Amino acid sequence: MKHELRFESPSFGKRLKGMLGVDFYRLFHTPMYYIFLAIAALIPALILGTTGMTDPQTGVATAPLYTNAWNAIAADSPLYAFSNIGEYANMNMVFIFGGIMVSIFIGHDYKSGYVKQLFTTHAKKQDYMMSKTITCAFAMACMCVTYLLGAVVAGLLVGMEFSGNVGSIIIAILSKMVMSLGWASLYTFLNVIFRRYFGVSIASSFFFGTGLPIIAIGMILGNNLGSVLNIFLYGSSVYACLSATPLTLAVCLVCSAAWAVIYNVAGTQILSKCDVY
Amino acid sequence: MNAIEIRNLTKSFRGLYALDHLNMTVPVGAIYGFIGENGSGKSTTEKLICGHLVPDEGEIKLFGRDYTDPGVRVRVGALIENAGCFPNSSVWDNLMMQAINLGLPNRDEEINRVLEIVRMEDSANIKFKSCSLGMKQRIGIAMALLGDPALLILDEPINGLDTDGMRIMREILIDITQKYGCTVLISSHLLGELEKIATHYGIIRQGKMIMELSAAELEGRARVFVSLKTKDMQGALAVLKAKFGNVRMEETYLRVYDVDDTETIVDCLMKNGHVVSEIHKNKIGLEEYYIELMSQKEGK
Repeated sequence: MKHELRFESPSFGKRLKGMLGVDFYRLFHTPMYYIFLAIAALIPALILGTTGMTDPQTGVATAPLYTNAWNAIAADSPLYAFSNIGEYANMNMVFIFGGIMVSIFIGHDYKSGYVKQLFTTHAKKQDYMMSKTITCAFAMACMCVTYLLGAVVAGLLVGMEFSGNVGSIIIAILSKMVMSLGWASLYTFLNVIFRRYFGVSIASSFFFGTGLPIIAIGMILGNNLGSVLNIFLYGSSVYACLSATPLTLAVCLVCSAAWAVIYNVAGTQILSKCDVY
Repeated sequence: MNAIEIRNLTKSFRGLYALDHLNMTVPVGAIYGFIGENGSGKSTTEKLICGHLVPDEGEIKLFGRDYTDPGVRVRVGALIENAGCFPNSSVWDNLMMQAINLGLPNRDEEINRVLEIVRMEDSANIKFKSCSLGMKQRIGIAMALLGDPALLILDEPINGLDTDGMRIMREILIDITQKYGCTVLISSHLLGELEKIATHYGIIRQGKMIMELSAAELEGRARVFVSLKTKDMQGALAVLKAKFGNVRMEETYLRVYDVDDTETIVDCLMKNGHVVSEIHKNKIGLEEYYIELMSQKEGK
């Protein structure tokens, strides 16, 4: 096979398709993805399964975190500042573990040197950012689904009540899944910044995933004024609560998409202006 | 048209210049041996061509197009430092990912083709981390060969390999260039190995290209010499120096430079009572030429 000296520029769509194909192939062929899906299912199961258990030393039952199993998915109302761990521990935790998963996923690109193969060929930095964001958003959305399954199964096994407006619950779940895009773009961005420091990228993803900076502001503003925090990823994720309305979904969509664009543009700029490794 | 054309390429790391206005021309179809000592800027140049590093200034053109053009980049394959594979994935999976990335239509067929070229047809299901160094280098070449590359960039592909590994790699490289006709840019410290395959050379020192020449030009510049052994080496050295001028003692041989007439040398020694026990005609190879050039540059 003698090569011909013809050079045809692949379209943006073809380049992105190729990159997405690689990322999804890798995602589905790595045990890490399935481990994180299992972790996402185990979190609500552990929370619901252990809440209200009897302390073996004192023999006194601990105060249950929830009476309603759906609270493992979201709080009743948007609580930017929370008063107990039960108001914090819900589906938003998927985004913390999702951050670690994204860090491992992207970190391995750099650790293995595979990123060299990608950038030697036609892939542009923009394709890389977009592909990682979409793939990791998909993975996190899947984690939301397994989290939901874990919560429902554990809730049923423990015999908790499932009360609430079905429509609002569906919107809350969909809104949180939509937020995966924004979170994935943040983590992709962080991992591009700290691409040479695997540990730092995991730590930074974990830190931002916990929402601590937004929680701190929420503590100052209080929950009534906290709605301004909906412009941030953690704020919108909190806003997707059990009293969600179609507006909630719209807010989450806009917030998630806007941050995805911002982080993608910023990440592309960094990758284009700096050495790859 | 040249496969690679670099003008005034400069790259610094924290104020230290790795490349200083480097110029380089690699003709289409050439096997370009890129030579230089450690830290001279070979790998930096290759990484810049591959788009892994961002240049401070300068221009890189591949086949007459800007090096960032996806149309030309899709026809570039590289093995820089290591194969860049996922250790826990199989050889097949690693190749498959690159084939998907390149958007190749007949992926299975293409993967089998490159595995055959690198003589690894039976190792497709092995995990990459279980492969030996030689196998990893060959997988790296297989990755680079996916999708009919017009330009292959290979950074030290034979370093660290055992004799057998080196032989296999040499055969593969000759195969690639002869059967598939790609342009190859190859850097190596093993000049003897490089000399067997290269058609062109570029010699880099302290980030600057100090010489570019073809194998034919090197042949023309290579000095001939006769090496010989006698019983009384010091006595013979004096006699030959008086007659031919440029004579040196190199290890256990006497070298008479710029003379290829062995009969005249033997005659001269016989007349002076020296018996020649061994005599060979030689030509300075790439390695010696390079050492000599470097010595000149260092003013030795």
